Amino acid sequence: MLTAGACLVSCILSFETTTYAQDTTAVVKEAGAPVKAKPVKNTFQSIWLIDNQTVMVPFKGTFEMDIQHRFGTVDKGYSDLWGLYASSNIRIGVGYAPINNLYLGIGLNKYDELWDVSAKYALLKQTPGESPVSITYYGDLSYDTRKDATKDLFAHQSDRFLSFNQIIIARKFSDKLSLQVAPSITHQNAVNGYYTKNDSTGQTIFEEMKHDHFAVSVSGRYKLSDATAVLVNYDQPITKHATNNPSPNLSFGFEFATSGHTFQLFMGNYSLLNPGKNNLFNANSPFNYTQADGTRVKGGKFVIGFNITRLWN
Amino acid sequence: MKIKLMLATSAIAASVMCVAFTTVQQTKPWPVPEKNAKMANPVKPSKESIANGKSLWNLHCASCHGKTGLGDGSKAAQLKTQPEDMTKGTAQTQSDGSIFYKISEGRDDMPSFKKKIPDPDDMWSLVNFIRTLKK
Repeated sequence: MLTAGACLVSCILSFETTTYAQDTTAVVKEAGAPVKAKPVKNTFQSIWLIDNQTVMVPFKGTFEMDIQHRFGTVDKGYSDLWGLYASSNIRIGVGYAPINNLYLGIGLNKYDELWDVSAKYALLKQTPGESPVSITYYGDLSYDTRKDATKDLFAHQSDRFLSFNQIIIARKFSDKLSLQVAPSITHQNAVNGYYTKNDSTGQTIFEEMKHDHFAVSVSGRYKLSDATAVLVNYDQPITKHATNNPSPNLSFGFEFATSGHTFQLFMGNYSLLNPGKNNLFNANSPFNYTQADGTRVKGGKFVIGFNITRLWN
Repeated sequence: MKIKLMLATSAIAASVMCVAFTTVQQTKPWPVPEKNAKMANPVKPSKESIANGKSLWNLHCASCHGKTGLGDGSKAAQLKTQPEDMTKGTAQTQSDGSIFYKISEGRDDMPSFKKKIPDPDDMWSLVNFIRTLKK
């Protein structure tokens, strides 16, 4: 009976080993000796995957600087060099990992003079035999600092805030392929609206958008070599608003990594350089779309962009 | 005549100056604490370990030390210190523990990789890969 039980346990263990055999894990030190499984490393090379965060949380003590550019839309072609000579959006940010599994960031965006603070925490790490996926929480709070002396833009200071919360679930399927899915919720304190009824019997207000917006992103990386990878990402809005529904986002590009930098060059629809703003207000469709004058345009509206990260660790 | 003499003197002076400021490239000794030098490599040089080490080498080391360890990486010419030829000589005769220590701590142009490669097993895998560079 004992022997049968031992066989069963042995079978399950060997099945587990087979299941996760393709994971990159710590190398077994001594053949046959029991070694505690270690979390899978380098599911992604950077904290960024184009406009989204990856599941990666940098190692304790890492200091990083980010420079991000999104150029103009490519639809004008040669006249503005496919958007490269058009007005661009820029974000400069820094981040630091004060303890293991936690990463804090701050940045300033040209668009809306938006300051953002963010926190990222690794809740679970993909570990052979223990967890098939890694899970990370990401939260971003942004504050619009545009001047508004006449209060045309913001009736209250709290209207300047925008919050974004996301759970990132990722799996490294092999040394080359990693995928992640990330549901998110964005909250805006103020939405535009107008009275549809405002008399002695009461008030009814039509709100153009809802305060909370749900979305989901699906992203992947495929390594072409130790330093080069292909990136693909898609963001789908879920919440339906009365008007001003944001467009989805499709982006794709390349990542080049060195010991101290990652450089991502890509095309996509998002241009606002803030996860909440992008999810709520993206007006660039990845598919055929209709302009305000009723003209049907084929092929979507894309921008070229890049992310540069510099690591000090 | 005077001009010729001045030119000849200037040429000699210039030659002397050139020789005076030419330094002979010598590898500065890199002492490793005995305790570290004697550390045994706990990671066997398996196929997986060497592949892992190679991947780390390509990302972190190849730009200075070269793809094959000859010290001919694209950044090597900009460094104050010429990266050592990792395929022979002292680079290969030193102990695994010594290589581990040097990667971990760094010195001068060579940065410390303690935080970039936080898992010691990965660092040992890199040592295993460096052993395969031997010619």
